[in-house]
Amino acid sequence: MSSMGRILALATVVTLAAAVAHGQNRSPAPGADPAIGMQIFTNLCGFCHQDGGRVAGRGPKLAGTDRPDDYILNRIRTGKEGAMPAYGRAFSDVQLRSLIAYIRSLKDDGK
Amino acid sequence: MMTQRRVIHLMGLAMTAIVAGACTTSTSTSDTGTMRAAMAGPASDNDWPTYHGTYQSWHYSPLAQINTDNVKRLRVAWVHHPGRSTRGLQSMPLVADGVLYYTGSYSRVWAIDAATGNPLWSYFPKLNDDLVAAQTHSPYTRGIAIGQGKVFVGTVDGRLIAIDQKTGQPAWDTKLINSEKLTVGFTGAPLLVKDKVIIGAQGGEWPGRGPIFGVDAASGRKVWEFLTVAGTDEGMKTWGGDSWRTGGGGGWMAGGYDAETNTVWWGTGNPAPLYDWAGSDWKTAGPRPGDNLYTTAVIALDPDTGKLKFYHQELPHDAWDFDSAVGEFVMIDRDGKKLVVHPNKGGHVFVYNRADAKIVNVWPLVQNINFVKGIDPKTGELIGRRDMALGKHTNLCPAIAGGMSWNSGAYSPKTGLYYKIGQEWCMDLEVVKTTPILEPQAQLNIGASFTLRNPEGGKAHGHVSGRDPVTGAKKWEVKFTEPPLASLLATGGNLVFVPDARGWLHAYNAETGQELWSFNNGLGHNGGIISYSAKGKQYIAVATGWGSLVGDEFGALFGEPFKSMPKDAGALVVFALE
Repeated sequence: MSSMGRILALATVVTLAAAVAHGQNRSPAPGADPAIGMQIFTNLCGFCHQDGGRVAGRGPKLAGTDRPDDYILNRIRTGKEGAMPAYGRAFSDVQLRSLIAYIRSLKDDGK
Repeated sequence: MMTQRRVIHLMGLAMTAIVAGACTTSTSTSDTGTMRAAMAGPASDNDWPTYHGTYQSWHYSPLAQINTDNVKRLRVAWVHHPGRSTRGLQSMPLVADGVLYYTGSYSRVWAIDAATGNPLWSYFPKLNDDLVAAQTHSPYTRGIAIGQGKVFVGTVDGRLIAIDQKTGQPAWDTKLINSEKLTVGFTGAPLLVKDKVIIGAQGGEWPGRGPIFGVDAASGRKVWEFLTVAGTDEGMKTWGGDSWRTGGGGGWMAGGYDAETNTVWWGTGNPAPLYDWAGSDWKTAGPRPGDNLYTTAVIALDPDTGKLKFYHQELPHDAWDFDSAVGEFVMIDRDGKKLVVHPNKGGHVFVYNRADAKIVNVWPLVQNINFVKGIDPKTGELIGRRDMALGKHTNLCPAIAGGMSWNSGAYSPKTGLYYKIGQEWCMDLEVVKTTPILEPQAQLNIGASFTLRNPEGGKAHGHVSGRDPVTGAKKWEVKFTEPPLASLLATGGNLVFVPDARGWLHAYNAETGQELWSFNNGLGHNGGIISYSAKGKQYIAVATGWGSLVGDEFGALFGEPFKSMPKDAGALVVFALE
């Protein structure tokens, strides 16, 4: 590998690592549909995550979250005692990833 | 058992009240006579035998050892920590024969020496932990019933359990709801009426039919079940298409009992979805076309059979989550009329004739109401409904948390005043089409995204007022920067106790609203408060411990101390004169 190639490869690794660290692994999972996620979110998640997840309420604001997908996915699946129900048995993997896709589609306008 | 004698005595009091009511036209005199009859005998004065104090739902203790003159000497007598107080401590304790019984989260029950605080027994039901972890409105338990030698508790996984009152050993355990499928269970207190334990399921925004059950107290056998969604042929006609299958409803707080007519009064939950995109076409279109009986209604049931006797739907086709499954059924006599006063979450207080639920009056307790322009005080008809179609809407008042919440106010026969918390806040929302989620487990069906906000021209806040229960005429009011969320207590010592959201317990002069004493319990209050006497000494017992579906809003809306207030702690704090 040329030195330029090494530099490019290193830059790619650094960029990917930074993106993962910052929770920006935004490429949607196969079958994930933010529209499906929005439907589910409005059914139940919006009871706590207000304005469709754009502002804090009973639950935290989700728009612009720096949590990685896997963290959010795990939280949806396993919940948090006294704060967040565990939806791991309630929704399919595609539905859960659609929720992630919806959350990633939210514009953070600083509210 | 003393408690059973007390219940029988409460039934007898109604007959005394008939005589008292027929012989007087003075509200306070008549009411005092009723309560004296209710509380006759030393055992009855000393106890707190049912969720709302008595069947009359006054949340009043006639005890007067602690009074306006000496309340400044009130000190902590003992404290009990239940542990694992997830979402705080929302319980209303009961007292019988010197023993205090109360519940913590996860349907746990304690019996405690009411004078010393020494635990006598505890009962922790084995719950379906996977289910509880998946529930939204859980794991708090708001109360119990006692009588016939047993303590009755509903569980968040859908069972009703009877525990031996002396030993703490389970007597029977009856599964009533398929909570594994519906995800709802029992969080409210049961009501013991004669030989039946009556308890209502959670419901509201869940796609179910919200049953209320009558269970044989001796055996645990289910005797009857009333469905608050389309529970009669008449009710079925008020749901378009198959919407009744997923209508919501429920009856998640304990009701009251009118022994004179053998009638149980119960408030029902809202329909699902909470918000309805049909707008003004709701009678024929949208997810649940029609009036949606018997949601957001007060219903009168025969406790022996569960048959519906009569009802009044406070909000036909409730499109705002302002259910009737809140608060108390205050039974009073006024000018020879037998009345029941019931708050609705939307911020109005309904006054009914006890014989048939005909409207006597309707009056607003809060200022910020615009979901209707008004409610006809003669008929109860909604005037100027604000039905919201798909899309964005601003400044809907009150907010989803209601003009009043589920905890109870109090009524004093000495002052003739009704003491009640009011909540002033609004919200913006966007109504969105949703489809009920039924598989593999039923889930909430909200039908909108929303954000709580301050009312236009002011800040969100709360107040406690002392009012005429029939007319709503205000005698005094105390404002709070945040709405208190706990129940209130009135006493024969001419005191009103208000446990507030920040953690302060206040005692006010019941006549004037003047603050006479306060104490910081260090955690917000979100549950019950009672008074009782044990070994000749009067006590005030209050549940502390923050965290609830309404209280969880406070951090975002009001900031500190709520942003950092624990939501997994709580204690029962008991006071007496030093």
